[in-house]
Amino acid sequence: MFSIKRKRLKPSIATSSMSDIGFLLLIFIMVISLINQRYEEKIEYTEAQQLEKTEADENLEIWIRRDGAISIEGDYISLEYMEALIVSAVSQDPMVRIHLIADRNTPYKYVDEAVKILQKLQHRVVSFVVREEL
Amino acid sequence: MNLKPRRRNTDDPGSSGSLNDLSFLLIIFFIVIAGFNTTKGFLITLPDTSRPRLVHQEDLMRCTLKDTGAIILDGQEVSLDELRTVVQSKRTSYPNMTFLLVIESETKYQHVIDIIHEIRRLDVENFSFRMEDNVQH
Repeated sequence: MFSIKRKRLKPSIATSSMSDIGFLLLIFIMVISLINQRYEEKIEYTEAQQLEKTEADENLEIWIRRDGAISIEGDYISLEYMEALIVSAVSQDPMVRIHLIADRNTPYKYVDEAVKILQKLQHRVVSFVVREEL
Repeated sequence: MNLKPRRRNTDDPGSSGSLNDLSFLLIIFFIVIAGFNTTKGFLITLPDTSRPRLVHQEDLMRCTLKDTGAIILDGQEVSLDELRTVVQSKRTSYPNMTFLLVIESETKYQHVIDIIHEIRRLDVENFSFRMEDNVQH
């Protein structure tokens, strides 16, 4: 009598395609993080504890160096041009969040110039960007 | 006699087992890096200059921030800790207290942030600031 013995396969989870999926995910996240990369001025950040998240969907970052130089997206601009850029950003999206990022040693008078322009434009909410103290 | 060739249990050179772990760790790394880019700070509502608010004299607490970083309250220099104590006690007597910070023009921005941080920590709702020269915020 023949006995047909079935070869029992060991149960296993196929993981051969996992590396491909992982690799694709990696590429995806790398591309997304590159898209999100923003211009950053070399400044010494102000520091504080207990901060709130101030980022909105649309953001405009105004960088103020310690010598009072103002830059937006890498271009050094005058106060008049800054005002024009804010007007254009707000007209495109009224909910745009304006961020003031100044060096910790910047005299306040330079920050005040930017604040005054925002007040003049009736832009009421402004974010003072600060780095979290560790 | 067993003539069946003995199968060796060796690792497959084409095995990609560790690649999963590696790519997973890289994904975590990029997610963490992306998290660093979020902007944090203080959201400040600038007062409307066209409609100034009236504040009772007794509700007002005026503080001057000097160029040197010194905090002057009622003509006396105080530390941040002392300022905290004074603000807390004033708030218990005057819940609608308004904290007005007058900043000298050459004051370093970090000193201004230190005061804003303290005021936020104390949950002072009415907070106003201006530069000492002339225009009021």
